[in-house]
Amino acid sequence: MASFGRFLLRRTLQGALVVLGVITVLFVLRHVTPGSPVDFIAPLDANQETRRAIAEARGLNEPIYVQYVDYVLSLVQGEFGFAYRSSTAVRPRVFSKLPATLELAGAATIVAVVLSIPLGVLSATRRHEGPDYAATLFSLLGISTPNFWLGVMLVILFGVQFRIFPTSARPVGLIDAAGHLVTVSGGVGFPLDVAGFSDAFATWLRYITLPALTLGTYFTALITRLTRSGMLDQLGRSYVQAARAKGLPETRVRYHHVLRNTLIPIITVVGLQLGTLVGGAVITEQVFNWPGLGSLIIDAINARDWPLIQGSLVVVATGFVVVNIVVDALYARLNPQVMD
Amino acid sequence: MAPFDPRSLYEWLTDRVSPRTRRNLRSELDSSLLAKLGVGILIVVLVSAVFAPLIAPWNPTAQTLDDKQQPPLGFSRAETQVSQEMVDGEVQIVEETEYIDATVAHPLGTDALGQDMLSRVIYGARTSLLVGVLGTVLAMAIGVPIGLISGYYKGRVDDALMRIADVSLAFPSLVLAIALVGLFGQATVNVPDPFVTSGLSEFLRGLVSLPGGLSYPPGMPETFALPGTVILVVGIVNWVWFARVARGEALGVSEEEYVTASKALGGSNRYVIRRHILPNSVTPILVLATIQIAAIILLESSLSFLGFSGANLSWGFDIAAGREYQTTAWWIAAMPGLAIVITVIGVNLVGDWLRDALDPSIEGEGGGV
Amino acid sequence: MEDILRVEGLSTRFFTSDAQVNAVESVSFDVRAGEILGIVGESGSGKSVTALSLIDLVDSPGEVTAGQLWLRNPPLAESYPEAAHEDGEFVDLRELPDRTRRSLRGPTFSTIFQDPMSSFNPSLTVGEQIAEAVEVQRRASATPRSTRSRTDGYGLGSYLLDGIVPGRAYTDDASHERAVELLEQVGIPDPDERAREYPHEFSGGMLQRAMIAQALAGEPDVLIADEPTTALDVTIQAQILELLREIQADRDMSVVLITHDLGVIARMCDRVAVMYAGEIVERGTLGDVFDDPVHPYTQGLIGSIPDLDDPRPRLQPIEGNVPSLRADEMGDRGYFADRCPKAMEACLDPQTERSCDDPEHAARCVLADDAYDPATALPDDYFEEGSDD
Repeated sequence: MASFGRFLLRRTLQGALVVLGVITVLFVLRHVTPGSPVDFIAPLDANQETRRAIAEARGLNEPIYVQYVDYVLSLVQGEFGFAYRSSTAVRPRVFSKLPATLELAGAATIVAVVLSIPLGVLSATRRHEGPDYAATLFSLLGISTPNFWLGVMLVILFGVQFRIFPTSARPVGLIDAAGHLVTVSGGVGFPLDVAGFSDAFATWLRYITLPALTLGTYFTALITRLTRSGMLDQLGRSYVQAARAKGLPETRVRYHHVLRNTLIPIITVVGLQLGTLVGGAVITEQVFNWPGLGSLIIDAINARDWPLIQGSLVVVATGFVVVNIVVDALYARLNPQVMD
Repeated sequence: MAPFDPRSLYEWLTDRVSPRTRRNLRSELDSSLLAKLGVGILIVVLVSAVFAPLIAPWNPTAQTLDDKQQPPLGFSRAETQVSQEMVDGEVQIVEETEYIDATVAHPLGTDALGQDMLSRVIYGARTSLLVGVLGTVLAMAIGVPIGLISGYYKGRVDDALMRIADVSLAFPSLVLAIALVGLFGQATVNVPDPFVTSGLSEFLRGLVSLPGGLSYPPGMPETFALPGTVILVVGIVNWVWFARVARGEALGVSEEEYVTASKALGGSNRYVIRRHILPNSVTPILVLATIQIAAIILLESSLSFLGFSGANLSWGFDIAAGREYQTTAWWIAAMPGLAIVITVIGVNLVGDWLRDALDPSIEGEGGGV
Repeated sequence: MEDILRVEGLSTRFFTSDAQVNAVESVSFDVRAGEILGIVGESGSGKSVTALSLIDLVDSPGEVTAGQLWLRNPPLAESYPEAAHEDGEFVDLRELPDRTRRSLRGPTFSTIFQDPMSSFNPSLTVGEQIAEAVEVQRRASATPRSTRSRTDGYGLGSYLLDGIVPGRAYTDDASHERAVELLEQVGIPDPDERAREYPHEFSGGMLQRAMIAQALAGEPDVLIADEPTTALDVTIQAQILELLREIQADRDMSVVLITHDLGVIARMCDRVAVMYAGEIVERGTLGDVFDDPVHPYTQGLIGSIPDLDDPRPRLQPIEGNVPSLRADEMGDRGYFADRCPKAMEACLDPQTERSCDDPEHAARCVLADDAYDPATALPDDYFEEGSDD
């Protein structure tokens, strides 16, 4: 598997280049957008003297390339700087919002994968029958519905009319819930607070259900569609007939042989669509007052708080790049021909 | 500029479509109910968007506070009024529930300011379609040349352009769009509405008399706000998809013998790209364009929903406004959302139709004889 | 030699939205233990569909519409009396439940397909795919048929468990070892190494050997080889045929060899069936068909073989084209009559099979037991009107 190691190394280097590109684009954007940072930092009644001092302190008087190098170096070292408005450090603010967004995206992905693949397989193998029509209708609706509207409708239906699910906020996170299983000293102690954990977990689940459905529906629909058409394409290939001719059980033909080859192109598409997942998370967080990175980004953009914008977008882009490397590795594992 | 002749456009288009392609399109449309549905939906949306001032029953921005929060046909809204009354010398709190019924004048109800939802939905189609189509054209204009050059020249040029594409992909498109609109401002262009400024809409609406003695209220908005920044931004944000597809096609086509032959005969690179590579990439680009129109309509509505658009006659904008009344008047958010869903379904169905009819690699599923 | 498979009146049709295609029309033949039966015909003559009909793998919109497929299998005949022949030896495959028919694939019928590259799954190793076939055979002989469920005891739950629980994989070490053994038997060097490789790392000839190994894994009674050499280079073709011959002799299997290549037939087969337009037009021993063909189509085929010893300077092509097989276009007309140099008025009726003097030798042709009568010959342009397209 030496070639796999080389492949991974190459992809990692490419990924680092992409992150550098993202950093550069953000730097350029910051300098072409109207308004001087000093305007945002300084109090409204600040005199020239104070303004100059601020510019000096933030390194805004340096030549542009010096600013660029400083900026890249500090980001590489994990220094995200200080927000304009509150002068708080950016890094802890970004990372404190990260778990909420990751939980939401993760839950939506799980919903999507668990529902869509069996649905797509069912649809393809029972073509032109009831389940196929139902799955096709669902996936057409799913890819055509804006997720924020779906969120609002779910809130009206399940939050306002039937009052089954809470409609906003995130009182506990997964890490808080897991905290019940850990003693104060940090180790796993006895007796474990299982009741506390399951209570907290149930609360978490109740609060994340609607947001996860909102975010996950589009992907469920998309992957169902891709699985269906991919399966139909693969089912017509000769190797399927050959696998049946040797007497393999149909379940194994469908899942081990056909689905495996169907997943190869799907993985690529899903990797590319991860950006849509993050974008969807941003807007879902707005609908459900979910305290994640998305809300932070929107606030930062509205306030033109550049260190905060840069910090959060660099984290988002890095996450995207890392997940794509994982997706590529998975792709290479499933598709042996990619390695040569 | 010469006067525009629709027939010449039709001829130009049909010249570029082979008889076989036309036949495929035709037979797929004949055999697929969904394709017919998609085309039907798109026609309805397109007509609504173009002739909005003639079709919309009310001025979509006319506020009639007396009629606010009227429910759509088939529903009624309960309004509870709490008052204090003196009964037998004691102060009592009296709750009075009043039922507000739907009226034919506002079939989809009214919003919190008493604006007619149906008229707003009809006018909203303009924003969605304009942004969807113009944004896609812009994305195509940026992405296709880059992709063709990348796939044709390969090597370093390709590497460099594809790294740029990777960087672009690493920004989620909604986040990038929010950032760009947020940072550069929400410029809108007020385009005069030819139907209104010419007096045509006033004239035609006067001719129509409605049953029950109702008449069309006059006075439609004279200008239409085109969200300029949003169109630019959605185009810039989505170029990369066109670049990827065009590159893939160019990579494939440039390996073909006839391209080698054309180069051997002394064809310049520009000539080869224009004459061979581009025409052979048209089909997948066209199919992608349909998908992109749907994606951009969704993106525009998201931007409007988040308040990053500047357009005030937009489905996403109305959904955001309706959120505040989700406990009392669900239809304010529901109606524009339904309009989005139906429109995007229409675009997606047309996309499926084009794909099934034009893409031979997707055809031919299942076993033959 | 005894029959192990008797096909009687098999018809397979395809029903598309605008046409009905009679791909196989009332075909009868038998396969005997330890013999190589050749089925020869042009492409589109229905020979591959015949093979797929035997193993119940005709894809929709195709369907076997008539006929009996008698397999000699006394235990099955006992389990399924309603499908059994009155002699108690044979069962009609078409009358068996689907799952039982499926269970015959591998252990009873193994198949070698035309193009090895597309007949192996590109994303699994060759070794695993052969091991799967080994596993099918092992499970089939371990489990009594009657206890099998709808999914042959292997549903989605089993599949997921196989993937998760260690040591529960569908194929185990023993079946992988057997796969390597089989690869060695078909003459693949470094079988241990090659078993871990993917199909795209094999050459066409090597992969066809691997497919033969996979077919042998089921220890089949009947090996169906559908154009096994067509996709290969000429030099490799000879090796593969040699291999097929060897393993057939070693294991005393029956082989149904389907090909369009008369050279292959002449070299390999004991008996031959010639197909034209979905029908078997002539069948008999190799000697009968090659040396003494009765049907003008067979005569034409044999005449088109280049023969170095033949003093005639030119080959004899068969005029005209293979008919379309669409039911609406063909009507009742004798299929070959429009191309036949000896067409007579009697040929306008549908022909049944007639025996020639030799009981082994039969042809679907008036000439099998009648002489050519020039008096009733059809004029040359008889079929031209109405056959415009």
